[in-house]
Amino acid sequence: MAGNRDIPVTETALQHTRLQELVAPFADGELTREEKRAVEEHLRSCGRCRCELALQRDLSRALAREPTPRASVGLRRRIEAIGERTSEVRERSFPWNRRWAAVAMAALASIAIAGTALRIRRGGASRPMTEIPVLRDALADCRRAMTRNFPRKADLAAVAEGLHFPIRTLRGPGVELFSTWKTTLAGSPAAGLAYRWRGMVVVQYAVPNELLRQQPDVGEALSHDGFYSSSEVGQGVVAVLKDGSGTLLIANAPPEELRRLIL
Amino acid sequence: MKGEARRACFQSTTLPHLDRLVALASRRGDREEAEDDVQETYARAWIAFDQLRDTGAAFPWLCKILRMVANERRRTVARRQDLLFITELEAAHEEIVASDAPSPLEHLLARLEAGSLREALRSIPEDLAEAVALHDMHGLKYREIAEVTSVPMGTVMSRISRGRQLLAGLLRARDEEKPQRRLAMQGRGE
Repeated sequence: MAGNRDIPVTETALQHTRLQELVAPFADGELTREEKRAVEEHLRSCGRCRCELALQRDLSRALAREPTPRASVGLRRRIEAIGERTSEVRERSFPWNRRWAAVAMAALASIAIAGTALRIRRGGASRPMTEIPVLRDALADCRRAMTRNFPRKADLAAVAEGLHFPIRTLRGPGVELFSTWKTTLAGSPAAGLAYRWRGMVVVQYAVPNELLRQQPDVGEALSHDGFYSSSEVGQGVVAVLKDGSGTLLIANAPPEELRRLIL
Repeated sequence: MKGEARRACFQSTTLPHLDRLVALASRRGDREEAEDDVQETYARAWIAFDQLRDTGAAFPWLCKILRMVANERRRTVARRQDLLFITELEAAHEEIVASDAPSPLEHLLARLEAGSLREALRSIPEDLAEAVALHDMHGLKYREIAEVTSVPMGTVMSRISRGRQLLAGLLRARDEEKPQRRLAMQGRGE
């Protein structure tokens, strides 16, 4: 073997093999004094190991000079927030995309408040959310989905199966669907879809047209304004009828912004 | 330690290592996954922070958690598909060390673009690449790597040595491929 040509005849191949294995730790300063002395002695008579030593040192230095990525500003912020009240809630393991866990938890907190505080803003009504079955159920379902960190898959075909109305997904720059699930709102089958958009989670429910029309206040707003929207404590809710199905959006965003996603 | 004091201690102990952890997590490729893994690492570190006895050893401790997180994520994912034929790399390494050159990689390394060595690490077996990266790029001592990766010191020693050998073989093999590729492209009129 070409590599063994410089092994001194007085040294056994076994000794060479043993000392050869110490060349890398020798280069890294990881040997005991005795081992170091043995390697130094070996190097004086072994060109192959001298070459190996140069290789190990040069590569180590070259790797140390390699540029390395740094943490993004967003990640740094999220990590700095660990230990704050909201973060302590999410100390359990979140198996889904962690970047969105904190966002979802913030939304969850808002939904919990909105569930009791939201008021209809259209048609002069002031009916509590809990008195509108589809909204009450949607908020509860949304809360459940967020608590469970959303189903991991986004499978439109699977959630559409068995539904008698089409699912119109949200489209637009930066809108990314990451989770879908089947659910029931006000006794009617529905599809839940979760998106990432502008650093927040937007939850969409696809429901039958007639379900939204039947809801108190919502039906009136739909026939009068073409849409229903409401907000409280930063939580926006929008409902529209479009392309043969009803759509309900929930997010930590003003309803005007959410409307742009569907109108 | 309670509340804000615990949080302040956690931040001052762990945040200085954030960039290094992201760099380590990014070693395997996907940047977004890397940030997810690092965030999960910090979340777990926060929970287990009271178990960290020596704050001076925070980086290896975080590395160990990161390694667990990354392995859990990839447990069901197939091993890298683009592993080069190891014996070819070993043969290329043999040719290098048989050259008697005082700096056998000098010309190869001088021609490399920034980041390409780091990228090349992804093409050698993961356990070797990990040990090399922890030592050469992130400054861990052999003893700390043994602790992080839960293997004996002797294994760390041989992984680092062999990892660099395969990396050197890879650089040489790729360097030899270049003129052949150029010739092939010229032959096709590209």
